[in-house]
Amino acid sequence: MNTWTYIARRTLYVIPVILGVCFLIFVLFNVFSPDPAMIMLGKHATAKQMAELRAELGLDKPFFIQYLDIVKASFTFDFGRSWSTKQEIFQMIKQGAIPSLTVTLPGFLLSTLISIAISLLVAFYRGKMIDKAVVFFCVAGMSISSLAYILFGQWFFAYKLGWFEISGYEEGFPYFIPYIILPVIIWVILSIGPDVRFFRTIILDEVYQDYVRTARSKGLGENHIMFKHVLKNAMVSIITYVIIQLPFLILGALLLESFFSIPGLGAMTLNAINSSDFPVIRAMTVLSAVAYIIFSILTDVLYTVVDPRVRLH
Amino acid sequence: MKKYLVLPLVLVMAIVASCTKKQVTNEKVLNVSVPQKVKGMDPIFASDRYSNNEVAKIYEGLLEYHYLKRPYTLVPNLAQDLPKVSDDGLTYTFTIRQGVFFHNDAAFTGGTGRELVAEDFVYSLKRLADPKLQGLGWWLIDGKIMGLNEWREKYANADKVSYDEKIEGIQALDKYTLQFKLTKPFPQFLYALAMPFTFAVAKEVVEHYGPEFINHPVGTGPFVLPKFEQTNRIVYTKNPTFRKKTFPCEASEEFKAEGLTADCGKQLPLLDKIVVEILIEDQPRWLNFLKGNIDYVGVPKDNFSSAIPDSKNLSEDLKKNGVGLLISPSLDVTYTAFNHDLDLFKNVKLRRALSLAYDVSQSNKLFYNDTALPAQSVVPPGIAGYMESYKNPYRSYGEAENIEKAKKLLAEAGYPDGKGLPEITYDCPAGTVSRQVGEFFKKQMEQIGVNTKVVQNSWPELQNKINKRSVMMYGIAWGADYPDAENFLQLLYGPNKAPGANGSGYNNPEFNSLFVKAAIMQDSPERTALYEKLNRIAAEEVPWIYGVHRQSFVLKHAWLKNYIATDFDAGQEQFLNIDVEKKAELSKKL
Repeated sequence: MNTWTYIARRTLYVIPVILGVCFLIFVLFNVFSPDPAMIMLGKHATAKQMAELRAELGLDKPFFIQYLDIVKASFTFDFGRSWSTKQEIFQMIKQGAIPSLTVTLPGFLLSTLISIAISLLVAFYRGKMIDKAVVFFCVAGMSISSLAYILFGQWFFAYKLGWFEISGYEEGFPYFIPYIILPVIIWVILSIGPDVRFFRTIILDEVYQDYVRTARSKGLGENHIMFKHVLKNAMVSIITYVIIQLPFLILGALLLESFFSIPGLGAMTLNAINSSDFPVIRAMTVLSAVAYIIFSILTDVLYTVVDPRVRLH
Repeated sequence: MKKYLVLPLVLVMAIVASCTKKQVTNEKVLNVSVPQKVKGMDPIFASDRYSNNEVAKIYEGLLEYHYLKRPYTLVPNLAQDLPKVSDDGLTYTFTIRQGVFFHNDAAFTGGTGRELVAEDFVYSLKRLADPKLQGLGWWLIDGKIMGLNEWREKYANADKVSYDEKIEGIQALDKYTLQFKLTKPFPQFLYALAMPFTFAVAKEVVEHYGPEFINHPVGTGPFVLPKFEQTNRIVYTKNPTFRKKTFPCEASEEFKAEGLTADCGKQLPLLDKIVVEILIEDQPRWLNFLKGNIDYVGVPKDNFSSAIPDSKNLSEDLKKNGVGLLISPSLDVTYTAFNHDLDLFKNVKLRRALSLAYDVSQSNKLFYNDTALPAQSVVPPGIAGYMESYKNPYRSYGEAENIEKAKKLLAEAGYPDGKGLPEITYDCPAGTVSRQVGEFFKKQMEQIGVNTKVVQNSWPELQNKINKRSVMMYGIAWGADYPDAENFLQLLYGPNKAPGANGSGYNNPEFNSLFVKAAIMQDSPERTALYEKLNRIAAEEVPWIYGVHRQSFVLKHAWLKNYIATDFDAGQEQFLNIDVEKKAELSKKL
């Protein structure tokens, strides 16, 4: 199948997926979520005012009409305004996406590159002391709560040593840089453990393949084998792992944003959940679903680039 | 070669960026932090304390609390004087202060702010009542102003609301005279006029910005903010056209003794700029305070014992750095409510038994570092209706004889040693401390043979359960909206049953009729006597198991002047001052 036909066909899948996502969030919101009118009115809520507010929010309409409203908003990307902050949701997402990405993107790129490098190294020295030590530190590192890294990093490196800002964020390049260095370092430390273990397994799977033995028997150097053959063949799994994570980067890093006071989308989403701010929850869920589909199409297309034997159906 | 240059370049830029930020200026800048997102800058939606405070930097109301007087005293702000109140207590006539101007903004002709007039308050109050806007402060004036509810209902289902229609209860008699007519006497109405929900907005600004008005605050207040954005930092600057308003010279003795009148007569505001950082977590807030990046901070629970080791005095380390401690009682009450819809809790002996089994001293030690005041009833100290020497007879401080009394009452209630009692669920909010409070409650009840189960809920879930009456007992607290016992006693007034403020559903005809009588009386010894009577009923009938009245512990740096801990801090920043030289000197030590 032609790549473009494949992309067009997969893009059409967005329609049933969005319909399904809308149905799911609509059901979840109506069954499990507390009454937003009550949350907004707080301790002074009266039955009458709650009924009035529910009518104003459109929550007194028949379920089918409410569902259609959600579907319409999701397909037009016109998410309206937040019930809680009265802000335009599109603006909120625009404002929050960049601060989130300034932390998650460099963190993700650095951790991925470092993890792949370490994984190649330990695969090269498989079974030896360095391999065992790396695996030990990865497991040990993963056993410690992410909160501990954040609390210690902030207290020791930012407060005690004064190397970084304790918290905060300034918009615009390069003003945000002093504020993101420590969160990025913590992101990298948090990601290296699981990433190295995953990449190491993938690379080790390749190292024991027949073609590697053949390459060795042909007298090729270890570096050549690792970078030219093993890494290239491991790339399909690595790309899947990496690209599928990309859409979630935009959603931000909840704890890091919260502790370092970065005005990203992670904190915004949590806030929306806590205040039953349905329009914001809906917008974030639909955008995540769409981003997930786009990136999975991208992954499939990239397979054909990395491995010409792969055919799209 | 280029790729080798990228990393050093980024590092250099980072260093440059961080260096440029540390420039020292002679500006008087107040640095504060708030623990949650600010919802926006529209007074009618400022329902939480933090949004309330932000709105009050920009907007002003007819009245305000005197900054240096206790008990809390209302004084005129945008009103020239306190209102003339008719003999029947129904008509309030205000004269608006002349020469007050809105901030300059593109919404006004020529971009220059126009003068505030009485009509602005008529418009602002109508906005609060507008059914299309659903302002969150509607409860404050609901049913209280003549013709306003009818106006709201008339337009509830209409496409557009007419602001031109006259309402009998709110009228501008002339440019500077404003009159309110109430449906029934309601002396607490004046407190409503000191709350940000009723602050003055300009019609042309609201119409110019439409839905974006929430992000374009234009008031008459001491600070300006050209545009509000949902980021984690809000920067206000001094209003260059602020009217003549000076720092108060009169003060309560306690404040005079602390030298808080040193800025007497100085033009307000005293600050050039305010930087508000939104710091949701305790640790960064605390570390920023220790570094001097924040001028004052409420002491986080985890840092309490290191900062205030004996629960009264500051640690030597903090004292050395010039940090000061302010301890002040809060107008609040914590309590465990019974669901009075359940037949089980209609049994007063059972309620009294459970109350006597609960050791409030131990709870104070465990959860409030022994700093709170055990509550005897619903009204907190500091307002009329609180009875200083009154001791609730169904209150326990861990005495063994109270456990015996509780067991006896439990038997009299029909449940000897808890036999025949179903398992009682105790609902509380999520979080470690709430869970600990719940476990403590469970342990206390076990002493008399009562089985309880602790159920944690997210805050909205708990509210939902209370409103749907699907709780048995639940732990919660109430903070004052205004300094009047009515605001606490209404929590037990039957017709206020959930989803109103009376979550427990307590309904006592005697209490209800006394409350109705007291609520419409002007402040007087007779009203205080009624409040005390109600407070006593609330103690002896045990509609709740009372907890404590909490105290606030605030630390401040020595360079921050005129700061006092208050329950009503909206607009406080205009009175604060920064000693720039002292800050430069002390900051070096931090």
